[in-house]
Amino acid sequence: MLLIPAIDLKDGKCVRLKQGRMEDDTVFSDDPVAVASHWVERGARRLHLVDLNGAFAGEPVNGDIVKAIAKAHPDLPIQIGGGIRSPEIIQAYLDAGVQWVIIGTKAVNEPQFVKEMCQQFPGHIIVGLDAKDGKVATDGWANVTDVDVIDLAKQFENDGVSAIVYTDISRDGMLQGVNVDATVRLAQSMSIPVIASGGITNLDDVRNLCAVADQGISGAITGRAIYENTLDFGEGQALSDELIGA
Amino acid sequence: MSEVVAVIDYGMGNLHSAGKALEKVASGQQIVITGDPDQVRAADRVVFPGVGAIRDCIAVLRETGLDRAILDVIAAGKPVLGICVGMQALMARSEENNGVDCLGVFDGQVTFFGELQNDTGGRLKVPHMGWNQVRQGMAHPMWAGIADNTRFYFVHSYCVTGLADEEVAGRCDYGLSFAAAATRKNVFAVQFHPEKSADAGLTLLENFLRWQP
Repeated sequence: MLLIPAIDLKDGKCVRLKQGRMEDDTVFSDDPVAVASHWVERGARRLHLVDLNGAFAGEPVNGDIVKAIAKAHPDLPIQIGGGIRSPEIIQAYLDAGVQWVIIGTKAVNEPQFVKEMCQQFPGHIIVGLDAKDGKVATDGWANVTDVDVIDLAKQFENDGVSAIVYTDISRDGMLQGVNVDATVRLAQSMSIPVIASGGITNLDDVRNLCAVADQGISGAITGRAIYENTLDFGEGQALSDELIGA
Repeated sequence: MSEVVAVIDYGMGNLHSAGKALEKVASGQQIVITGDPDQVRAADRVVFPGVGAIRDCIAVLRETGLDRAILDVIAAGKPVLGICVGMQALMARSEENNGVDCLGVFDGQVTFFGELQNDTGGRLKVPHMGWNQVRQGMAHPMWAGIADNTRFYFVHSYCVTGLADEEVAGRCDYGLSFAAAATRKNVFAVQFHPEKSADAGLTLLENFLRWQP
Protein backbone atom coordinates (compact mmCIF):
# COMPACT_ATOMS: atom_id res chain seq x y z
CA MET A 1 0.00 0.00 0.00
CA LEU A 2 1.36 3.36 -1.03
CA LEU A 3 1.54 6.23 1.36
CA ILE A 4 0.87 9.26 -0.79
CA PRO A 5 2.04 12.63 0.45
CA ALA A 6 -0.44 15.41 -0.18
CA ILE A 7 0.77 18.78 -1.33
CA ASP A 8 -1.94 21.39 -1.14
CA LEU A 9 -1.16 24.35 -3.35
CA LYS A 10 -2.56 27.79 -2.72
CA ASP A 11 -1.25 30.99 -4.26
CA GLY A 12 1.94 29.17 -5.26
CA LYS A 13 2.63 27.95 -1.73
CA CYS A 14 2.17 24.69 0.18
CA VAL A 15 -0.61 24.92 2.75
CA ARG A 16 -2.80 22.69 4.87
CA LEU A 17 -6.48 23.39 5.46
CA LYS A 18 -8.43 22.22 8.47
CA GLN A 19 -11.56 20.36 7.29
CA GLY A 20 -11.48 22.10 3.94
CA ARG A 21 -12.03 25.62 5.21
CA MET A 22 -10.24 28.01 2.89
CA GLU A 23 -9.86 30.66 5.57
CA ASP A 24 -8.32 28.18 7.99
CA ASP A 25 -4.96 27.44 6.40
CA THR A 26 -1.36 27.08 7.50
CA VAL A 27 1.50 27.83 5.09
CA PHE A 28 4.16 25.12 5.23
CA SER A 29 6.51 26.17 2.45
CA ASP A 30 7.04 28.73 -0.26
CA ASP A 31 8.72 26.16 -2.51
CA PRO A 32 6.37 23.34 -3.62
CA VAL A 33 8.97 21.78 -5.95
CA ALA A 34 11.38 21.41 -3.02
CA VAL A 35 8.58 19.91 -0.91
CA ALA A 36 7.82 17.36 -3.64
CA SER A 37 11.52 16.47 -3.86
CA HIS A 38 11.68 16.11 -0.09
CA TRP A 39 8.92 13.47 -0.10
CA VAL A 40 10.47 11.64 -3.02
CA GLU A 41 13.74 11.48 -1.10
CA ARG A 42 11.82 10.11 1.86
CA GLY A 43 10.50 7.27 -0.30
CA ALA A 44 7.28 8.55 -1.86
CA ARG A 45 6.33 6.62 -5.00
CA ARG A 46 3.32 8.74 -5.86
CA LEU A 47 2.31 12.34 -5.17
CA HIS A 48 -1.11 13.79 -4.49
CA LEU A 49 -1.41 17.43 -5.49
CA VAL A 50 -4.35 19.66 -4.77
CA ASP A 51 -4.85 22.97 -6.51
CA LEU A 52 -6.81 24.80 -3.84
CA ASN A 53 -7.16 27.99 -5.82
CA GLY A 54 -8.46 25.95 -8.71
CA ALA A 55 -10.87 24.17 -6.45
CA PHE A 56 -12.34 27.45 -5.37
CA ALA A 57 -11.96 29.70 -8.38
CA GLY A 58 -12.95 27.19 -11.07
CA GLU A 59 -9.70 27.10 -13.02
CA PRO A 60 -6.09 26.16 -12.28
CA VAL A 61 -4.17 28.93 -10.59
CA ASN A 62 -1.17 26.76 -9.70
CA GLY A 63 -0.77 25.07 -13.08
CA ASP A 64 2.80 26.23 -13.61
CA ILE A 65 3.92 24.80 -10.28
CA VAL A 66 2.31 21.46 -11.08
CA LYS A 67 4.23 21.38 -14.35
CA ALA A 68 7.48 22.22 -12.54
CA ILE A 69 6.95 19.36 -10.08
CA ALA A 70 6.20 16.90 -12.88
CA LYS A 71 9.27 18.08 -14.78
CA ALA A 72 11.50 17.68 -11.73
CA HIS A 73 10.25 14.09 -11.25
CA PRO A 74 9.44 12.73 -14.71
CA ASP A 75 9.11 9.10 -13.56
CA LEU A 76 6.97 9.79 -10.51
CA PRO A 77 3.23 9.10 -10.86
CA ILE A 78 1.32 12.23 -9.91
CA GLN A 79 -2.38 12.63 -9.24
CA ILE A 80 -3.96 16.03 -9.01
CA GLY A 81 -7.30 17.31 -7.82
CA GLY A 82 -8.88 20.71 -7.61
CA GLY A 83 -10.62 22.58 -10.39
CA ILE A 84 -10.81 19.64 -12.80
CA ARG A 85 -13.79 20.98 -14.69
CA SER A 86 -13.04 20.69 -18.41
CA PRO A 87 -11.29 18.40 -20.91
CA GLU A 88 -8.89 21.26 -21.66
CA ILE A 89 -7.69 21.35 -18.06
CA ILE A 90 -7.27 17.56 -18.04
CA GLN A 91 -5.36 17.62 -21.31
CA ALA A 92 -3.09 20.37 -19.99
CA TYR A 93 -2.24 18.38 -16.86
CA LEU A 94 -1.65 15.16 -18.80
CA ASP A 95 0.61 17.06 -21.19
CA ALA A 96 2.48 18.39 -18.18
CA GLY A 97 3.24 14.85 -17.06
CA VAL A 98 0.46 14.23 -14.56
CA GLN A 99 -0.81 10.62 -14.55
CA TRP A 100 -4.29 10.99 -13.05
CA VAL A 101 -6.71 13.82 -12.52
CA ILE A 102 -9.17 13.61 -9.66
CA ILE A 103 -12.66 14.89 -10.36
CA GLY A 104 -14.35 15.97 -7.17
CA THR A 105 -17.19 18.47 -6.96
CA LYS A 106 -18.00 18.22 -10.63
CA ALA A 107 -18.42 14.45 -10.40
CA VAL A 108 -21.42 14.90 -8.13
CA ASN A 109 -22.73 18.05 -9.78
CA GLU A 110 -22.46 16.66 -13.28
CA PRO A 111 -21.95 12.87 -13.30
CA GLN A 112 -22.14 12.78 -17.09
CA PHE A 113 -18.82 14.66 -17.15
CA VAL A 114 -17.08 11.72 -15.46
CA LYS A 115 -18.38 9.29 -18.04
CA GLU A 116 -17.31 11.51 -20.91
CA MET A 117 -13.88 12.13 -19.46
CA CYS A 118 -13.36 8.39 -18.87
CA GLN A 119 -14.06 7.83 -22.56
CA GLN A 120 -11.82 10.69 -23.66
CA PHE A 121 -8.95 9.99 -21.23
CA PRO A 122 -9.17 6.29 -20.34
CA GLY A 123 -6.97 5.27 -17.43
CA HIS A 124 -6.40 8.83 -16.28
CA ILE A 125 -9.56 9.62 -14.35
CA ILE A 126 -10.02 9.21 -10.63
CA VAL A 127 -13.10 10.37 -8.74
CA GLY A 128 -12.81 11.89 -5.30
CA LEU A 129 -15.79 11.38 -3.00
CA ASP A 130 -16.30 13.03 0.35
CA ALA A 131 -18.54 11.36 2.86
CA LYS A 132 -19.67 11.65 6.41
CA ASP A 133 -21.01 8.56 8.16
CA GLY A 134 -21.13 6.77 4.82
CA LYS A 135 -23.27 9.42 3.12
CA VAL A 136 -22.03 11.53 0.25
CA ALA A 137 -21.22 15.14 1.03
CA THR A 138 -21.59 17.89 -1.54
CA ASP A 139 -20.60 21.52 -1.61
CA GLY A 140 -24.21 22.64 -1.33
CA TRP A 141 -25.75 23.63 1.95
CA ALA A 142 -27.67 20.56 2.80
CA ASN A 143 -24.19 19.28 2.30
CA VAL A 144 -24.58 15.76 3.55
CA THR A 145 -27.02 13.94 1.28
CA ASP A 146 -29.06 10.77 1.71
CA VAL A 147 -26.84 9.09 -0.89
CA ASP A 148 -24.80 6.11 0.19
CA VAL A 149 -21.22 6.60 -0.93
CA ILE A 150 -21.01 2.97 -2.10
CA ASP A 151 -23.94 3.40 -4.51
CA LEU A 152 -22.32 6.44 -6.04
CA ALA A 153 -18.84 4.93 -6.23
CA LYS A 154 -20.28 1.93 -8.11
CA GLN A 155 -21.79 4.24 -10.71
CA PHE A 156 -18.41 5.81 -11.33
CA GLU A 157 -16.78 2.39 -11.44
CA ASN A 158 -19.18 1.49 -14.26
CA ASP A 159 -18.23 4.70 -16.03
CA GLY A 160 -14.62 3.53 -16.08
CA VAL A 161 -12.78 5.51 -13.43
CA SER A 162 -9.39 4.15 -12.35
CA ALA A 163 -9.84 4.57 -8.61
CA ILE A 164 -11.87 6.29 -5.93
CA VAL A 165 -10.26 8.67 -3.49
CA TYR A 166 -12.41 8.37 -0.40
CA THR A 167 -12.30 11.17 2.13
CA ASP A 168 -14.07 10.96 5.43
CA ILE A 169 -14.82 14.64 5.97
CA SER A 170 -15.33 14.37 9.69
CA ARG A 171 -11.69 13.34 9.97
CA ASP A 172 -9.79 15.11 7.21
CA GLY A 173 -7.06 17.33 8.64
CA MET A 174 -8.14 16.75 12.20
CA LEU A 175 -5.65 14.01 13.14
CA GLN A 176 -8.40 11.77 14.51
CA GLY A 177 -7.45 8.45 12.94
CA VAL A 178 -8.73 6.79 9.78
CA ASN A 179 -12.31 5.64 9.34
CA VAL A 180 -11.06 2.16 8.48
CA ASP A 181 -14.46 0.43 8.53
CA ALA A 182 -16.06 2.82 6.05
CA THR A 183 -13.03 2.63 3.76
CA VAL A 184 -13.01 -1.17 3.78
CA ARG A 185 -16.75 -1.39 3.12
CA LEU A 186 -16.28 0.78 0.06
CA ALA A 187 -13.27 -1.19 -1.18
CA GLN A 188 -15.05 -4.52 -0.71
CA SER A 189 -17.99 -3.45 -2.79
CA MET A 190 -15.93 -2.53 -5.86
CA SER A 191 -13.22 -3.96 -8.06
CA ILE A 192 -11.31 -0.71 -8.61
CA PRO A 193 -8.90 0.43 -5.91
CA VAL A 194 -9.81 2.81 -3.15
CA ILE A 195 -7.34 5.40 -1.95
CA ALA A 196 -8.03 6.39 1.62
CA SER A 197 -7.81 10.03 2.49
CA GLY A 198 -8.29 11.88 5.70
CA GLY A 199 -7.40 11.02 9.24
CA ILE A 200 -3.99 9.36 8.98
CA THR A 201 -2.23 10.41 12.14
CA ASN A 202 0.51 7.97 13.00
CA LEU A 203 2.06 4.55 12.41
CA ASP A 204 -0.95 2.87 14.06
CA ASP A 205 -3.19 4.21 11.30
CA VAL A 206 -0.78 2.89 8.67
CA ARG A 207 -0.78 -0.49 10.44
CA ASN A 208 -4.59 -0.55 10.67
CA LEU A 209 -4.99 0.21 6.99
CA CYS A 210 -2.32 -2.30 5.97
CA ALA A 211 -4.26 -4.97 7.84
CA VAL A 212 -7.15 -4.53 5.41
CA ALA A 213 -5.33 -3.25 2.34
CA ASP A 214 -5.84 -6.56 0.56
CA GLN A 215 -9.55 -5.74 0.41
CA GLY A 216 -8.73 -3.19 -2.26
CA ILE A 217 -7.09 -0.21 -0.59
CA SER A 218 -4.17 0.68 -2.81
CA GLY A 219 -3.02 3.80 -1.10
CA ALA A 220 -3.48 6.30 1.66
CA ILE A 221 -3.09 10.02 1.26
CA THR A 222 -1.43 11.72 4.15
CA GLY A 223 -1.06 15.44 4.72
CA ARG A 224 -1.11 17.14 8.05
CA ALA A 225 0.45 14.19 9.90
CA ILE A 226 3.65 14.21 7.86
CA TYR A 227 3.94 17.97 8.01
CA GLU A 228 3.36 18.06 11.75
CA ASN A 229 5.57 15.03 12.29
CA THR A 230 3.05 12.84 14.08
CA LEU A 231 3.95 10.39 11.30
CA ASP A 232 7.42 9.97 9.82
CA PHE A 233 6.74 9.44 6.12
CA GLY A 234 9.76 7.23 5.51
CA GLU A 235 8.94 5.01 8.49
CA GLY A 236 5.31 4.79 7.41
CA GLN A 237 6.09 3.67 3.86
CA ALA A 238 8.74 1.25 5.15
CA LEU A 239 6.22 -0.27 7.57
CA SER A 240 3.66 -0.65 4.80
CA ASP A 241 6.22 -2.33 2.53
CA GLU A 242 7.23 -4.64 5.35
CA LEU A 243 3.64 -5.59 6.24
CA ILE A 244 2.21 -6.17 2.81
CA GLY A 245 5.01 -5.81 0.33
CA ALA A 246 5.64 -2.98 -2.03
CA MET B 1 -38.03 45.62 12.74
CA SER B 2 -36.90 43.55 9.81
CA GLU B 3 -38.05 39.98 9.31
CA VAL B 4 -35.80 37.19 10.59
CA VAL B 5 -35.24 34.07 8.50
CA ALA B 6 -33.74 31.12 10.41
CA VAL B 7 -31.72 28.45 8.60
CA ILE B 8 -31.59 25.35 10.77
CA ASP B 9 -28.01 24.33 11.51
CA TYR B 10 -27.17 20.88 12.86
CA GLY B 11 -23.51 21.70 13.23
CA MET B 12 -22.84 19.12 10.52
CA GLY B 13 -22.91 21.05 7.30
CA ASN B 14 -21.32 24.14 5.89
CA LEU B 15 -24.18 26.61 5.91
CA HIS B 16 -22.26 29.78 5.15
CA SER B 17 -23.15 29.50 1.50
CA ALA B 18 -26.80 29.06 2.48
CA GLY B 19 -26.68 32.33 4.34
CA LYS B 20 -24.98 34.03 1.42
CA ALA B 21 -27.44 32.72 -1.17
CA LEU B 22 -30.39 33.85 0.93
CA GLU B 23 -28.85 37.24 1.63
CA LYS B 24 -28.40 37.67 -2.11
CA VAL B 25 -32.14 37.36 -2.72
CA ALA B 26 -33.35 38.89 0.56
CA SER B 27 -34.94 42.30 0.64
CA GLY B 28 -34.02 43.63 4.05
CA GLN B 29 -34.54 40.33 5.82
CA GLN B 30 -32.06 39.19 8.41
CA ILE B 31 -30.68 35.66 7.78
CA VAL B 32 -29.75 33.75 10.91
CA ILE B 33 -28.05 30.35 10.84
CA THR B 34 -28.94 28.66 14.08
CA GLY B 35 -29.31 25.39 15.95
CA ASP B 36 -31.14 27.03 18.84
CA PRO B 37 -34.81 25.95 19.05
CA ASP B 38 -35.86 29.23 20.65
CA GLN B 39 -34.27 31.25 17.86
CA VAL B 40 -36.06 29.02 15.36
CA ARG B 41 -39.38 29.60 17.14
CA ALA B 42 -38.79 33.34 17.20
CA ALA B 43 -38.02 33.54 13.48
CA ASP B 44 -40.55 34.77 10.93
CA ARG B 45 -39.56 32.12 8.36
CA VAL B 46 -37.59 28.91 8.60
CA VAL B 47 -35.39 27.04 6.11
CA PHE B 48 -34.93 23.39 7.05
CA PRO B 49 -32.16 21.64 5.07
CA GLY B 50 -31.88 18.22 6.75
CA VAL B 51 -28.68 16.16 6.61
CA GLY B 52 -27.43 12.66 5.93
CA ALA B 53 -29.06 9.45 7.05
CA ILE B 54 -32.63 10.03 8.16
CA ARG B 55 -32.11 8.18 11.46
CA ASP B 56 -29.26 10.53 12.41
CA CYS B 57 -31.15 13.57 11.17
CA ILE B 58 -34.26 12.77 13.23
CA ALA B 59 -32.15 11.79 16.23
CA VAL B 60 -30.32 15.12 16.19
CA LEU B 61 -33.61 17.00 15.83
CA ARG B 62 -35.10 15.18 18.83
CA GLU B 63 -31.99 15.56 21.00
CA THR B 64 -31.80 19.28 20.40
CA GLY B 65 -35.54 19.93 20.61
CA LEU B 66 -35.44 21.31 17.08
CA ASP B 67 -38.17 18.83 16.10
CA ARG B 68 -40.66 20.54 18.41
CA ALA B 69 -39.45 23.97 17.35
CA ILE B 70 -40.13 23.11 13.69
CA LEU B 71 -43.59 21.75 14.51
CA ASP B 72 -44.34 24.88 16.55
CA VAL B 73 -43.28 27.15 13.71
CA ILE B 74 -45.48 25.18 11.32
CA ALA B 75 -48.43 25.31 13.73
CA ALA B 76 -47.92 29.07 14.09
CA GLY B 77 -48.53 29.43 10.35
CA LYS B 78 -45.08 30.79 9.50
CA PRO B 79 -43.55 29.84 6.14
CA VAL B 80 -41.25 26.81 6.30
CA LEU B 81 -39.08 25.51 3.45
CA GLY B 82 -37.77 21.94 3.70
CA ILE B 83 -34.88 20.95 1.44
CA CYS B 84 -33.72 17.44 0.42
CA VAL B 85 -33.49 15.34 3.59
CA GLY B 86 -35.40 18.20 5.25
CA MET B 87 -38.35 17.39 2.96
CA GLN B 88 -38.04 13.69 3.78
CA ALA B 89 -37.94 14.44 7.52
CA LEU B 90 -41.35 16.14 7.22
CA MET B 91 -42.96 12.90 6.01
CA ALA B 92 -44.63 10.25 8.17
CA ARG B 93 -42.03 7.57 7.76
CA SER B 94 -38.88 6.65 5.89
CA GLU B 95 -37.81 3.13 5.01
CA GLU B 96 -34.15 4.12 5.35
CA ASN B 97 -32.24 2.53 8.27
CA ASN B 98 -34.87 -0.25 8.51
CA GLY B 99 -37.68 2.22 9.01
CA VAL B 100 -37.65 5.52 10.85
CA ASP B 101 -40.61 7.55 12.09
CA CYS B 102 -40.27 11.11 10.86
CA LEU B 103 -42.00 14.34 11.85
CA GLY B 104 -45.33 13.45 10.24
CA VAL B 105 -46.25 16.85 8.84
CA PHE B 106 -47.18 15.07 5.60
CA ASP B 107 -48.57 11.57 5.24
CA GLY B 108 -46.02 10.64 2.57
CA GLN B 109 -43.52 7.81 2.68
CA VAL B 110 -39.81 7.98 1.92
CA THR B 111 -38.79 5.10 -0.33
CA PHE B 112 -35.48 3.78 -1.67
CA PHE B 113 -35.12 4.21 -5.45
CA GLY B 114 -33.16 1.02 -5.93
CA GLU B 115 -35.99 -1.25 -4.83
CA LEU B 116 -38.23 0.38 -7.40
CA GLN B 117 -38.35 -0.64 -11.00
CA ASN B 118 -38.19 1.39 -14.15
CA ASP B 119 -40.45 1.01 -17.19
CA THR B 120 -38.54 -1.98 -18.51
CA GLY B 121 -38.54 -3.80 -15.18
CA GLY B 122 -34.89 -3.11 -14.30
CA ARG B 123 -33.70 -1.84 -10.95
CA LEU B 124 -33.33 1.92 -10.86
CA LYS B 125 -29.82 3.26 -10.84
CA VAL B 126 -29.13 5.01 -7.54
CA PRO B 127 -28.45 7.72 -6.69
CA HIS B 128 -30.60 9.94 -8.86
CA MET B 129 -28.03 12.61 -9.49
CA GLY B 130 -27.90 15.60 -11.78
CA TRP B 131 -30.40 17.95 -13.40
CA ASN B 132 -33.96 16.88 -14.00
CA GLN B 133 -37.23 18.50 -14.99
CA VAL B 134 -39.86 19.37 -12.44
CA ARG B 135 -43.48 19.30 -13.59
CA GLN B 136 -45.44 21.76 -11.55
CA GLY B 137 -48.53 20.16 -10.13
CA MET B 138 -50.27 23.43 -9.32
CA ALA B 139 -50.00 27.17 -9.56
CA HIS B 140 -48.21 28.27 -6.40
CA PRO B 141 -46.52 31.49 -5.24
CA MET B 142 -43.31 29.46 -4.84
CA TRP B 143 -43.29 28.79 -8.60
CA ALA B 144 -43.62 32.46 -9.51
CA GLY B 145 -41.25 33.30 -12.35
CA ILE B 146 -40.26 29.64 -12.80
CA ALA B 147 -41.48 27.97 -15.99
CA ASP B 148 -43.13 24.57 -15.87
CA ASN B 149 -40.64 21.75 -16.57
CA THR B 150 -37.67 23.82 -15.43
CA ARG B 151 -34.66 21.69 -14.51
CA PHE B 152 -33.36 21.56 -10.96
CA TYR B 153 -30.35 19.78 -9.46
CA PHE B 154 -30.99 16.52 -7.57
CA VAL B 155 -28.74 14.23 -5.57
CA HIS B 156 -30.60 11.59 -3.58
CA SER B 157 -31.22 7.86 -3.18
CA TYR B 158 -34.58 8.09 -1.42
CA CYS B 159 -37.72 9.82 -2.63
CA VAL B 160 -41.16 10.82 -1.39
CA THR B 161 -44.20 8.90 -2.59
CA GLY B 162 -47.75 8.38 -1.40
CA LEU B 163 -48.69 12.03 -0.94
CA ALA B 164 -52.23 13.18 -1.64
CA ASP B 165 -52.41 14.79 -5.10
CA GLU B 166 -53.27 18.19 -3.68
CA GLU B 167 -50.02 18.10 -1.70
CA VAL B 168 -47.77 17.40 -4.68
CA ALA B 169 -46.53 20.80 -5.84
CA GLY B 170 -44.16 19.30 -8.37
CA ARG B 171 -43.32 15.92 -9.83
CA CYS B 172 -40.15 14.51 -11.27
CA ASP B 173 -39.72 11.36 -13.32
CA TYR B 174 -36.81 9.10 -12.64
CA GLY B 175 -38.01 5.67 -13.62
CA LEU B 176 -41.03 6.48 -11.55
CA SER B 177 -42.86 9.65 -10.73
CA PHE B 178 -41.99 11.02 -7.30
CA ALA B 179 -42.77 14.21 -5.40
CA ALA B 180 -40.08 16.76 -6.22
CA ALA B 181 -42.01 19.36 -4.23
CA ALA B 182 -44.68 19.03 -1.57
CA THR B 183 -46.83 21.67 0.04
CA ARG B 184 -49.44 21.96 2.73
CA LYS B 185 -50.65 25.35 3.94
CA ASN B 186 -47.55 27.26 5.08
CA VAL B 187 -45.07 24.47 4.38
CA PHE B 188 -43.23 23.96 1.10
CA ALA B 189 -40.63 21.25 0.66
CA VAL B 190 -38.36 20.34 -2.22
CA GLN B 191 -36.29 17.23 -2.91
CA PHE B 192 -33.91 19.10 -5.22
CA HIS B 193 -31.22 21.52 -4.08
CA PRO B 194 -32.22 25.12 -4.87
CA GLU B 195 -28.77 26.27 -3.77
CA LYS B 196 -27.22 24.21 -6.58
CA SER B 197 -29.93 24.90 -9.16
CA ALA B 198 -28.64 28.16 -10.64
CA ASP B 199 -31.15 30.92 -11.43
CA ALA B 200 -34.29 28.84 -10.98
CA GLY B 201 -33.07 27.86 -7.50
CA LEU B 202 -32.43 31.46 -6.56
CA THR B 203 -35.86 32.47 -7.84
CA LEU B 204 -37.43 29.77 -5.68
CA LEU B 205 -35.55 31.05 -2.62
CA GLU B 206 -36.59 34.60 -3.43
CA ASN B 207 -40.21 33.43 -3.74
CA PHE B 208 -39.92 31.79 -0.34
CA LEU B 209 -38.74 35.00 1.28
CA ARG B 210 -41.78 36.80 -0.18
CA TRP B 211 -44.33 34.05 0.35
CA GLN B 212 -47.34 35.04 2.49
CA PRO B 213 -49.28 31.80 3.00
